[in-house]
Amino acid sequence: MLKGLSTIVIKEIKELVRDPKILIGMIIVPLIMFPLMGFAVQTSRQSAEESLKLVPIAVADFDQSSSSRNLTNYIGSQTNLQVTWLNVSTVDDALDFMRDSNATVLIVIPRDFGLNLSTWGKGVVEVFSVFSGKSITEDVGSQVVNAYLDAYNSRWEPLALKQSSIVKGEPVNVDPQILFGLTFSQVFIMPFTILMLLIFAMQIAATSVAMEKEEKTLETLLTVPVSRFTILAGKLAGSVVVALVGAAAYLVGFVYYFSSFSFVTDTGGVSVDLAALGLMPSSLGYVLIGASLFVSLLSALALAVVLSAFADDVRGAQSLVGFLYVLFILPMFFMMFSDINTLPLPLRILLLAIPYTHPMLAAKASITGDYLLAGLGVVYVSLFTVVVLYLAARLFATEKILTMKLKFGWFRRGKKQVVEELQ
Amino acid sequence: MTLAVETKKLRKLFGPIKALDELSFQVEEGEIYGLIGPNGAGKTTCLRIISTLILPTSGSATVFDHNVVKEATEIRKLITYLPEEAGAYKNLSGLEYLEFMAKFSTRNKKETESIIDNAAKISGLGSRLNDKVKTYSKGMKRRLLVARALMTRPRLAVLDEPTSGLDVLHSFHVRGIIKEYVKQHGVTVLLSSHNMLEVEFLCDKVALVNKGRIIAEGTPDELKTKNKVSNLEEAFAKVVGLA
Repeated sequence: MLKGLSTIVIKEIKELVRDPKILIGMIIVPLIMFPLMGFAVQTSRQSAEESLKLVPIAVADFDQSSSSRNLTNYIGSQTNLQVTWLNVSTVDDALDFMRDSNATVLIVIPRDFGLNLSTWGKGVVEVFSVFSGKSITEDVGSQVVNAYLDAYNSRWEPLALKQSSIVKGEPVNVDPQILFGLTFSQVFIMPFTILMLLIFAMQIAATSVAMEKEEKTLETLLTVPVSRFTILAGKLAGSVVVALVGAAAYLVGFVYYFSSFSFVTDTGGVSVDLAALGLMPSSLGYVLIGASLFVSLLSALALAVVLSAFADDVRGAQSLVGFLYVLFILPMFFMMFSDINTLPLPLRILLLAIPYTHPMLAAKASITGDYLLAGLGVVYVSLFTVVVLYLAARLFATEKILTMKLKFGWFRRGKKQVVEELQ
Repeated sequence: MTLAVETKKLRKLFGPIKALDELSFQVEEGEIYGLIGPNGAGKTTCLRIISTLILPTSGSATVFDHNVVKEATEIRKLITYLPEEAGAYKNLSGLEYLEFMAKFSTRNKKETESIIDNAAKISGLGSRLNDKVKTYSKGMKRRLLVARALMTRPRLAVLDEPTSGLDVLHSFHVRGIIKEYVKQHGVTVLLSSHNMLEVEFLCDKVALVNKGRIIAEGTPDELKTKNKVSNLEEAFAKVVGLA
């Protein structure tokens, strides 16, 4: 029995280690993909930790009573709050300061704070949190400040917190947690949906050449009296239809998704139009998302066609295309956890060099209004697509489309020694 | 005399492997010419070069005076190629497959329909042509593919192992098609096979190929007489020194 078992084991090892697709999987996934994903999460975590270390806030005390001074002293004693004490006469002046400042939270102690405390037993404090919609860690400042005010409320004097947001420099009577909820959905769901769309489309395209190889129809097709470029164009046109349908379906879903956020209830129970606040994608935003998605899909499909030429069958093609997922997953992680503008420059360049970062950026830009970056992204991805299409055309024009296969002789030799040792 | 195919010192290397080693032969128009030899002799490589699928490493090959390297597009208008392990699109019906392939060679619907009718007769598959290819047996699929290769009446049909893996009945049918159809329409056929009896039945002229070289050439009768044997199998064994 043991002899039979060892014979089968050795055969299995030989077959597995000699399959280049498995070899790539063995190298890429553990040695490249996981460290990259870990790096993405670590960088984002560091960025969040940094923002926790010293939260820049501004405080305007219009009351100047003993009660308000107790509160400001308490705020000033918190070592991780970098407080700017505002000497202004109105709330508008304080908000003006916030426009040019890096402070993320403004605490306003109204004129009758002390009186309210002695008369009603509760002092009203207005908390304005800056909302830009760029990162999931953006609400860290707001959460830290609220935690301290809650602690003050429990231990010292009762407070009634009135939460508002500052959107694009303007005060909005909406609890920032509602807007941060929107950001959460935006930064998590959108990149993930784009990732799913790209993966789905590439899997379909990968089969276009591989299926011909598997079904043994490619050789016949390559001898029909039409140019190779026509054959490639036909295959890509089919994929473009898939890309268009995919992009259209995505956009429809995207518009519907945002329509569910179009009105949120403010802290006073009145509906607030998010579009009026500039927190909904504009028509230009939707056009940019559509354009970016389309060119990204096209390049992904062309890339899938090129890669599938290396495989003998559909399974092999899908495995090969699977290794491209790192190009989607990496930007997705960073887009989820970080604001790209706050990342180290080399990492930022790397992410911007990956074409598939751009549809995710475009989706984000549709909220933040950074249309220039999204527009440049569309141009960059279009150029990348042209290069990939050119490579695909060159590949189809030669016999490589039939003969090309992945070879890892150096690795195979290394593994052969391992197998010999096992024997 | 018009030459359908001419190769001169054709060589093809796949890395260190020498698939063809200065292979030279000529096929006259209207002739059925067979390349016979064992597996790995270089028959398929030769047919793939002539069909413009792969390029020779050195030497030359022409099809009706068109160079396979420089005039591949012209050659594709004159030939059809049936690979040894060819398949058809499994989710299309037999008729749809024939229509798809016919459209590459026709200018209008009428012409396409005429070619499909022709293919239906050649294949002998009758109403089964309406069924999806994935429901076909291996023999039926091969008959469909042979019909596809001959339906457009190409000037040259390149058939790689046309009856490979088929049972006696299907082989008999396919051989009958080739022999009858080719003679009727003056199509030139270049085929490969390691079935010596098939080649003897079909071919006007044969080349015995071994290790990428032609080791003997002639009509089946000439080869048998020259080697004083009763069939081509024995002739081949004698030429390569096995008997």
